[in-house]
Formats: sequence, structure tokens, C-alpha cells
Amino acid sequence: MDEQSESPVLGEVLDWSEGGQVASRARRAPVRGRQSRAEALAWALFSAGGFVSAVLLPINVAVIGVAFAAGWLPDRALAYSRVLHLARNPIVKLYLLVVIALPLYHWAHRFRFAIHHQFGIHAKRLAAAACYGTALAGTGLAVWAVLRI
Amino acid sequence: MAERTISLKVARYRPEHRPDQYFDEFDIPYREDMVILDALNHIKDELDGSLSYRWSCRMGVCGSCGMMVNYKPRLTCSTFLREFYPKPIVVEPLENFPVVRDLVVDMTSFMQKLQSVKPWIIRHVDPPMEAGEYLQTPAEVEQYKGFSMCINCMLCYAACPVVGRDPDFLGPAVIALAHRYNMDSRDQGEAERQRAIAVDWGIWDCTFIGECSVVCPKDVDPAAAIQREKVAKTTNTMLSMLLPFGGHE
Amino acid sequence: MKEDGGPRYPVLVRTPSRTWWLRAGPYRRFAAREITSMFAALFSALLIAFLFALSLGPHAYGRFLSFLGSTGMLAASSLILAAVLYHMATWFRLTTHIVVIRLGGRTVPRNAILAALVVAWLAVSAAVAYFLIWF
Repeated sequence: MDEQSESPVLGEVLDWSEGGQVASRARRAPVRGRQSRAEALAWALFSAGGFVSAVLLPINVAVIGVAFAAGWLPDRALAYSRVLHLARNPIVKLYLLVVIALPLYHWAHRFRFAIHHQFGIHAKRLAAAACYGTALAGTGLAVWAVLRI
Repeated sequence: MAERTISLKVARYRPEHRPDQYFDEFDIPYREDMVILDALNHIKDELDGSLSYRWSCRMGVCGSCGMMVNYKPRLTCSTFLREFYPKPIVVEPLENFPVVRDLVVDMTSFMQKLQSVKPWIIRHVDPPMEAGEYLQTPAEVEQYKGFSMCINCMLCYAACPVVGRDPDFLGPAVIALAHRYNMDSRDQGEAERQRAIAVDWGIWDCTFIGECSVVCPKDVDPAAAIQREKVAKTTNTMLSMLLPFGGHE
Repeated sequence: MKEDGGPRYPVLVRTPSRTWWLRAGPYRRFAAREITSMFAALFSALLIAFLFALSLGPHAYGRFLSFLGSTGMLAASSLILAAVLYHMATWFRLTTHIVVIRLGGRTVPRNAILAALVVAWLAVSAAVAYFLIWF
């Protein structure tokens, strides 16, 4: 048997008590109630954003992005007066907010986990704050833009 | 006629001799009907009796023989050599678990996680004995039956990168088991189990990579179970926030 | 046994690679799926800029349209479109794993749910296209 001081492996035995850590976590008093609410809300936004990104984004990107730049749209489609008139409609404003804001929360949620799982950066709270913060900022900008029109 | 052989590269870990993991190569006589477990038994019986590994039923129902075969988590009793012949096969212990010896991994964390979700029927009110047995329609059974097929082989843990990154992550099998009981019409313990799984190291750590369901030998679909628990928890939370008496947390 | 029930024998702890998401097909596809959300967020940024340009008057709006119509933006928009379509395909497929609908005592098969999602997407896209281009 290797000497205690030389074997790196025995040191890892002491690290490997996360079975115990799991058990003690389960015994800890639930501050979790509040935490879980925030996570549920984040997941609800992520889910809604995922559906908007899947159902609404393709056609919007295809028309406003690709078709316009490729010259396939009729001239009046994105004309200033027409777009201004449309964008002043409250229903259109709501639609714009949905199409702009929800995908941001979808990205924020995915990126927050990518930071931890794929980039290996363990600053969980900072990552969450940065990601959702960016999404909130984007939402704020979108609201401001929509109100100015 | 020359006997056909196939080469197995087997991971070894014997801390009483060496502190690191190394590989031994063995040439196994090959037959069409052999599985990896047969090859390992051949090694132990004829070539190197010191090889350590777990197995039991040899028919894919006990969940003991999970290992990495060519870098994928497989049951060695159900993986045929002919799938790889004539190329060499690499056999390693299950990923994301600490290695105790050779191909044997330490399951302590898994066992403790299993218990933490209370995998049994929880009743707040027990009906009297005279009421007789619980009755379940086939439709009610179908709601949880798939998730009850888990044999605790831990292939899903080996396939899940989140388990690798977060060793505290409850993991696919454990959350699927919690879901199995939440979906059982005889059970009344959903609120308690949600407290155990709706946590940072529970359902919220899962990013629906989906590999757990791909490697599951029993088609349990743990990924679906986890996402459905997310939906359930989110719905409960939204309801309890919007309605004064709605939902439960 | 220690008090916490942990092992008293030496164990070899293997840390997974930081680039696990590059190592095998399924993980690479997962990473691609996650990256598509960045492209969606970029389009949101583009729309915000669009609305600000609109609010600043016809000259600012005209300049924005020239930018939006440039060859570079055509390429970028095509990339965003490809990403968003990949997101849609994976999102619909994943949804069929989660949604359980029972009709007449049987569970609706996943392909049927997928078909329903695609039909809904086509209908919504047609409506949006109409309002964007011709209304």
C-alpha cells in the first residue's frame, strides 16, 4: 500500500464525500422556496422565448432580413410612412415587444447555463445576473423605442 | 482453422500497485454470439484473475454491468462483440463516477440521491383495510409505467455532461424516479418530492441535452420526465402567484 | 464507514474535459442548438435598432434601410435565418417529448404532435407575412 503522504489518491477520498454533502443539503432549512420561484419564472420566460423564436422568428427574419436585402419585397413594404403607421398601432407595438423581448430571455437562460456547463466558469450568481440583466436591458430599450414611435 | 480473435483494451486501476489508471490489452477468442461480458469473464477465468468488474443477471435487467465501451455507456451483457469485430474494443469504467478498482465505480452518491427523492408511495390519508386494494385503470398505469422501468444501471449518468460538471446534480434516473411516483395515482407526495427536486442541483440544472434518454437500455426517457417536472413546477408556481388559493409549493 | 457514509478506500476521480461539447456528435449538435439562441438575440438587437431608426425620422430610417439592404446584412440575415430554422426544428422535436395529450384513451403519437406544430407554424408565418408585406 502506498504511503499516506505520497499517494494522491487518498487525499481524494476526503474530497469524495459529496454523498454526505447531498444528504446534508437535503437537511438544510428550505430557503429554496424563494430560489425555486425565481428559477420557475426564469424557465417560464425561457420556454415562452423558445416558442416565439421557433414560431415567429423564422418568418420575421425571412421577410425583414433576407427578402428585403435580396430585393424581393414590393417597394412600399418597408416604406417609412407605412411602417410608421403600422408601428403606431398598439397591437403591433405589443407584437413587436413580444418578438424582441422573449427571445432575449431565451438566450439569457441558455447562455447562463453555457457559462457554467460549457465554459466551466463557476460564478453562478454573476452569470445569472449578467445574462438576465442584459435581457432586461434589451427589454427596456425595446419598450423605450416602441413608446417613442 | 485458425481461431478468430478480437482485442480488448481494458482500463485498470489498482492503487496498491500504481496510483494512476492504465490499460491492459487482451486477445479474446471470438465467436458471433459473444458479448463484452463474456470477454471479461474469459479474461478473468483464463488470462488475468485480478480483473475486477460488476455483473449479475447477464440478461439486461439488473443494471450491474454498465461500462464505457468505445467511449459510449453500454450494458456489457447486452453489447455484442460482433458489433465491433474485427476492430479492437476499449472498455473503461462508467464515466462521471470515481473508480474504486479496474472497472468498478463508486455508487455512493447515486444511492444517496435516490433516497433523497423519497421513492415510495406517500399517503397523507390511508384508506381503511376494509376498502381493499388501490384500483388503477390501464390509463393510470400508463402514466407512470415507462418511468418505472429503470434498472438503476447509471448509463444515463455516464452520458450526462451536467453530472460530469456538477457532481451534486441529482441526475436523470433519480428525477425520473421522482416523476414516476408523482405520476402514480396512488401517491399523494408530489409536494414533498417537488421540494427535493425543484432545486438548483435538481431539475433546474438540466439543459435537456437528451443523451440520457438515448443511452437508456430500458427506454425510460428520463429527459422527458425531467422536462415534465419543470413544467409541473413552473405551472404550480405561476398558479400560486396569480391565484390566491391556487397551486401548492 | 465515515459518519457521512462516504468511502474509506482510495478512489480515482476523473474530471471531465472542459471541451466535452466538442468531443462527440450528440454533444456538438447540442452546442449548435444552444448557439442558435445567440443569433435570435442578435435579431432582437437588430429590431431594436430598426425601431429607434424609425423613431428618429425618415432620414435616419432611410440610412438604416440602406444598411439593412446591404450585401453584408443579406449574408448576416441568411445566417440568422439558418440558425433560427435549426432552433425551430430542434425545439419542435423536443416539445414532442414533453407534451402528453390523451385522446379517446390513447396517447397522441409524437409524429402527430410534430405535424400539428408544423401546421401551426405555417399558418402563423403566412399571417405574419401578409401583415408585414401587403397589409
